[in-house]
Amino acid sequence: MIKRRGWSWFWFFLGALYFLVPLLGTFLFSLRGKRGALSFFAYSRVFADSQFLQTFSFSFKMALLTIVAGIALTLPTMIWVHLRLPKAKPILEACSLLPFVIPPIVLVFGLIRIYSGPPFALASSPLLLVAGYIVLSFPYIYRAIDAGLRSMDLRGLTEAAHSLGAGWGTILFRIVLPNMRVSLLSAVFLTFSIVIGELTLAVMLAWPAFGPYMALMGRDLAYEPAALAILSFLLTWGLIGLIQFASRGITGHSTGLGGTH
Amino acid sequence: MAFLEMKNLVKCFGAATAVENFSLEIREGEFMSFLGGSGCGKTTTLRMIAGFEQPTEGSIRIGGAEVSNLPANKRGVGMVFQNYALFPNMTVHKNIAFGLMVMGWKTADIEHRVEEMLALIHMEEFRERYPHQMSGGQQQRVALARALAPKPKILLLDEPLSALDAKIRTRLREEIRAIQRQMGITTVYVTHDQEEALSLSDRIVVMRAGKIEQVGTPFEIYNRPANAFVASFIGTLNILDAHVVDAQRGQLLVEGQEVMACGPVPSGQVKLSLRPEMLSLGTHPSNENQLRGQLSNVIFLGSIVRLVIGTGSREIFLDTFNTPKLELPSVGSPVSIGFPREACLVME
Repeated sequence: MIKRRGWSWFWFFLGALYFLVPLLGTFLFSLRGKRGALSFFAYSRVFADSQFLQTFSFSFKMALLTIVAGIALTLPTMIWVHLRLPKAKPILEACSLLPFVIPPIVLVFGLIRIYSGPPFALASSPLLLVAGYIVLSFPYIYRAIDAGLRSMDLRGLTEAAHSLGAGWGTILFRIVLPNMRVSLLSAVFLTFSIVIGELTLAVMLAWPAFGPYMALMGRDLAYEPAALAILSFLLTWGLIGLIQFASRGITGHSTGLGGTH
Repeated sequence: MAFLEMKNLVKCFGAATAVENFSLEIREGEFMSFLGGSGCGKTTTLRMIAGFEQPTEGSIRIGGAEVSNLPANKRGVGMVFQNYALFPNMTVHKNIAFGLMVMGWKTADIEHRVEEMLALIHMEEFRERYPHQMSGGQQQRVALARALAPKPKILLLDEPLSALDAKIRTRLREEIRAIQRQMGITTVYVTHDQEEALSLSDRIVVMRAGKIEQVGTPFEIYNRPANAFVASFIGTLNILDAHVVDAQRGQLLVEGQEVMACGPVPSGQVKLSLRPEMLSLGTHPSNENQLRGQLSNVIFLGSIVRLVIGTGSREIFLDTFNTPKLELPSVGSPVSIGFPREACLVME
């Protein structure tokens, strides 16, 4: 037993080293921006660069649009499929895998080809970029929402609310969404992470996004890209922390006390 | 006058017919149970009343008004589900208040009604608990209070006790009946448990394969089953092949022995059904009939002792109370089964 526990700790530490050593190395490297001293010089240069804020705010806006449009499109569809068209689940499942199969470069050429001329001349609009981001983030939004819907008794809850006189709007905002808080936050943050770091679509559609900016920095500079990498890690961890914070106290519908009094 | 009226209800799912020509009238304040095995259409019928399923054919009227095409949230029908379906993100108080809030009640009225409901289910101290902080029985009581709070015209219960253990089930079923009587609400209760149906209901609908087999009071269903299915579905029953000797007088031949039933009976080959508790050991002046057999087993069931008696090709169950003075013949010894002619249910 003790031997087995020892091996568990060994693999745990090996895994931790695998992830933490490069991160620590990157962090230490990012502090060497000033010769002979450890400092946050590279970070201050990153923040001082107007392009950093410009590209980040652009990607941030695109991420917000993608999240709102992606969830508005996916959530009602999935509720409908779960309640009324369960046979369509495998089709949705297959669709959700397509972005993994079709490379972004193929996707973007397809988008440009279709949306460059009438009737949908959208090539110069950021909406096309948002549409592409929705496709890329669809597998993550789909899976997060699907997990949320599976974790609750959707049919029972909607029928109970209906029998109490509630319409669909009340059911969605008072029952379904509050019970999907964690999975929706997962969908939001995963989409945010994807959009913030996305490169191919932004480059090919020629938008000043954060992904291309990071790539440019990595090509031309040494310490600043390391600082950017650490910043993006902190951002991601911060978001995961927020998910944990938001999910406190949510324990599902198991009978915590056990028994049937 | 019928308060809930169903006329020629049909429900098809693709090629399969779940409910076929279901017609029933339920009086105001009546407690009606739908009883039957899995897939007999009882829950589908209940869901059609609730508005969760649209009838393929037929009509449903509540208080004289046609509701077949009304959505579930406009029918004014309260429903209690097998798995409670309490909103996990809301406390007991908010769960009960939900329907009232949706209907636009004033806050003070909502508070008053929630307190009333909590008192009704004796759960005032659980006001701020979440569903996951309560046991199954407690959750189902809250679900009942939630369904009753908006004062629905009809209360529907879909196997509400089947997820609970036996002791809680018995207690909760008494509570449900007491609350139903107190509020005088018309109630439809779906169950596959005959004991539940018999103990709760004013009337019972026994269903099989989407059709009604019999509608009657628990007493009628148990003592005067309409057919062999109802007879065998409700309680334990000895079913014996019999040949009618004199249909007018009710004279039968069972396992080569003569039995007198209440005539007239159908002629030819029939089924003779006997409830185990209607039979007694030995001879007694009130028992016109005697069947001879051999005691093959004794099964102890607590308050009841069941004797298994072989009569040629069949075995007959005989139930007797477990009293301190009970003396039983030894297994293998010949015994005589006595029963009055009123105990004989003769069916084609």
